[in-house]
Amino acid sequence: MTLSELFQILVASVGSIGFAILFNIRGRRLVSVAVGGALCWLLFLLLNRGIKNETVCFFLVAMLVSLYDELMARVLKSPTTVFLLPSLVPLVPGASLYYTMVGAVSKNQADFFARAVNTVELAGALAIGIIASTVIVRVINSVIHFVRERRAKKA
Amino acid sequence: MTEITPSTEIRDLRPFLDCAMEIGEQMLICGAEVHRVEDSIRRICYAVGAVRVDVFTITSSMLLTAKGPDGKLYTQTRRVISLETDFHKLDRLNRLSRRICSESMTAEQIREEIDAIGRIRHYPFWGECLAYLMIASSFAFFFGGVWQQAIAAGVIAVILRFVVALSDRLIQNAIFSKFLCSFVLTALTFGSVRLGLAPRADEIIIGCIMLLIPGIGFTNAMRDIFTGDSIAGVLRCLEAVLCALAIAGGYYLFVFLAGGGAI
Repeated sequence: MTLSELFQILVASVGSIGFAILFNIRGRRLVSVAVGGALCWLLFLLLNRGIKNETVCFFLVAMLVSLYDELMARVLKSPTTVFLLPSLVPLVPGASLYYTMVGAVSKNQADFFARAVNTVELAGALAIGIIASTVIVRVINSVIHFVRERRAKKA
Repeated sequence: MTEITPSTEIRDLRPFLDCAMEIGEQMLICGAEVHRVEDSIRRICYAVGAVRVDVFTITSSMLLTAKGPDGKLYTQTRRVISLETDFHKLDRLNRLSRRICSESMTAEQIREEIDAIGRIRHYPFWGECLAYLMIASSFAFFFGGVWQQAIAAGVIAVILRFVVALSDRLIQNAIFSKFLCSFVLTALTFGSVRLGLAPRADEIIIGCIMLLIPGIGFTNAMRDIFTGDSIAGVLRCLEAVLCALAIAGGYYLFVFLAGGGAI
């Protein structure tokens, strides 16, 4: 891990804290959001070494960080939404969106189209990652529920 | 004080259902998903003794019909106009709704709690300015900028906070506010690059754009669509896309007015 990568992780975390402040998150929840933001970029850098496809990496990271958020939501007894957005913010494709705009203004159709597809891909990966973690948590929840009911019936 | 009666006896549900609606409305405003809002209202209503509850919520409107044990129907609708994300409040409201379901509270007690939550303060204005600065600077770095760009992005972000405050007071339209912010930030960025304060415009604009991107709308849209609240989800998606278009529009307008010469 190079120094500049560590620095990227740090600024990702600071960005997450900034959003947490805008959304009025306080105390221990603020700390867990900061960790989430750092985790986001750390995971991306690690996964991107093995998987060269950026979109797939975004999907996996979004899913893993959402799972982390679901876990924190249960530990700190808050709605998941509280953690979800601020900690996933380093994955928001701001740069792609900007270069799409530049492409649109420069009237370079091919460039604009490639950038627009890239933005939609990344945003889609983020969305599917969030949904995937929701599905996983639901499955786990219903399994736990099922096991508990079976035990209650036996007792 | 009205004494809590066991739910087998008939009591007036009105004040309780009113509280349930109030809690739901506040949750929606603070940035909860539709599923959570509907679920909370439903649970509270059943907990205070309703025999049937139908609640329907989209991002801008809420509808509740509950049937009391005496067969009386109670209906209320609410029009939700503006959303203001506040997760601290949301957290407290969520805990309050759980408390109502697990222990018996009087309507007055619930009302007091709601009022107490309503008095929760946001971070002060300078705190938000600091948050804007943190976000814009760190993302200017994050997307490969140098320190001059990070400083420029931070300063422009603080100015943007003032622009947001101004447009909130004058126009109160989220889409137009994004458009205005995007225009101002593009103008300031190209201005600062022209003056030689920063080497390139790209990373400054990206850092500031992160502030305007409708992330919360998009995230909730995905969760809403998945939980089956497709109408609310699609509405939120549409709002997010409109916001993105407004941001692009502001940028485009400046570049158009500057005749492309500023780039």
